[in-house]
Amino acid sequence: MTKKLTYLTGPLIDQNPITLQILGICSALAVTTSLATALVMSAALTAVLCLSSATISLIRHHIPNVIRLIVQIVIIASMVVVIDEILKAYAFGISRQLSVFVGLIVTNCLVMGRAEAFAMRNPVGPSVLDALGNGLGYSLILVLIGTIRELFGTGAILGVTVFVPVSEEGWFEPLGLMQLAPSAFFIIGALIWAIRSRWSQQVETPKLSLVKIGAKR
Amino acid sequence: MIGIDHLSPRSVGGVTIAQCVALIAPLAVVATADPERFALNLVAALVAALVWEGIFATLRRRVLSFHGVTTAFIVAVVLPPEIAIWQIVFAVSLGVILGELVFGGRGFGFVQPAAVALSLLLISFPELQLRQSTTALAVATVPGAVLLLLMGLISWRVLVGAIIASAVLLALRGAEMEPVTVATAMAFALVFLVCDPISAAATPIGRWIYGALAGGLVIVFSPPGAPTAEAMVFAALMSGVFAPLIDHVVILIHARREMRRHA
Repeated sequence: MTKKLTYLTGPLIDQNPITLQILGICSALAVTTSLATALVMSAALTAVLCLSSATISLIRHHIPNVIRLIVQIVIIASMVVVIDEILKAYAFGISRQLSVFVGLIVTNCLVMGRAEAFAMRNPVGPSVLDALGNGLGYSLILVLIGTIRELFGTGAILGVTVFVPVSEEGWFEPLGLMQLAPSAFFIIGALIWAIRSRWSQQVETPKLSLVKIGAKR
Repeated sequence: MIGIDHLSPRSVGGVTIAQCVALIAPLAVVATADPERFALNLVAALVAALVWEGIFATLRRRVLSFHGVTTAFIVAVVLPPEIAIWQIVFAVSLGVILGELVFGGRGFGFVQPAAVALSLLLISFPELQLRQSTTALAVATVPGAVLLLLMGLISWRVLVGAIIASAVLLALRGAEMEPVTVATAMAFALVFLVCDPISAAATPIGRWIYGALAGGLVIVFSPPGAPTAEAMVFAALMSGVFAPLIDHVVILIHARREMRRHA
């Protein structure tokens, strides 16, 4: 039971897809200007990831090895189309804001990575748990960045004003920087830094190191 | 813990102290306009910088450093007096952390932390106007500049390179500008942001190129007329980013030539 749970809890921080494996950065930058879009994107990606992992894991013995990537992409793309249509039907405004990024889940390295690295080799149960864990790990980072960017960029969370801006006779001057893509880079960078200072086993060994003067070669 | 060695003129601490001494006259000139407000802003900037230095020194178990003082001084001179205190704290914190402390402290980074602070502030609040240079501020910069030049902490090559490049570009633009007006507008930021010993290039030829790049960018970034403080800040940041590349290329070309000569 504990082993099964690690499939779910591992990707939250220890194996987090964004901060450790640096996957899915593109969408993490693009859709986090507000918390609402970040939440919908997280839900869409987690749903696609779970559905595609389950499907791929189910038919993993029947997928010819040489064309496995094509089969995986076809399955993922069909799931993405389904999710995209559902969003268009029930949340048209948000789906307009997310524009191409829901469609681009097909090419999200995270989804392909989990399909290729895990679902192809494991039974359905662990595959779904692993997909859910990775989806939640991705969502955790997206929600964090979305909250920070919306709060400091507009003074509101989910559209509810927290800091009253100067334009409405408050004190808060919205940080234009937070609504620009570089701020997401800063925040992801700072998050990675904080996580690796706390869980130092995540730090990679540097490829190059300085030669110590006076040390014996 | 601070020994004599840490305060010798060629050490990091010595450089910081020399820069602080050079900044006293500009600070005094800016302070005369609105002393109370200025003192408040300066204290806010100093506290923000030193608190972050303290936090990082504690986390990294190092000796407490005080290099953020120059960042706070420069930011206090350039920022307009009517700015909100939290905006100062925001700018100085980002500058000190992202421009310096993430790399390991003064001397390990490659950009000027005050330039980082000011440019992030300008990007965040696009309607903000920096304090434009005045004749008094430019004159007050001169003694500090001479001191730093004599100590070898700023390079005359960078200064001359920047002046030549901006003069050429201004002439190409066909602008009729009094040289004194341009010099007044550029003096403070040129000495303390562009010529910073850590962010500037370090090879002799690299310094010419770096200075020319900075001086050229100032004119490119400025609207028609005298160079603005905003343009100086962004030019300092951009050229600082390119300085390591310039040095690398200069050293590479030099090494190639030496190899060929001895082949």
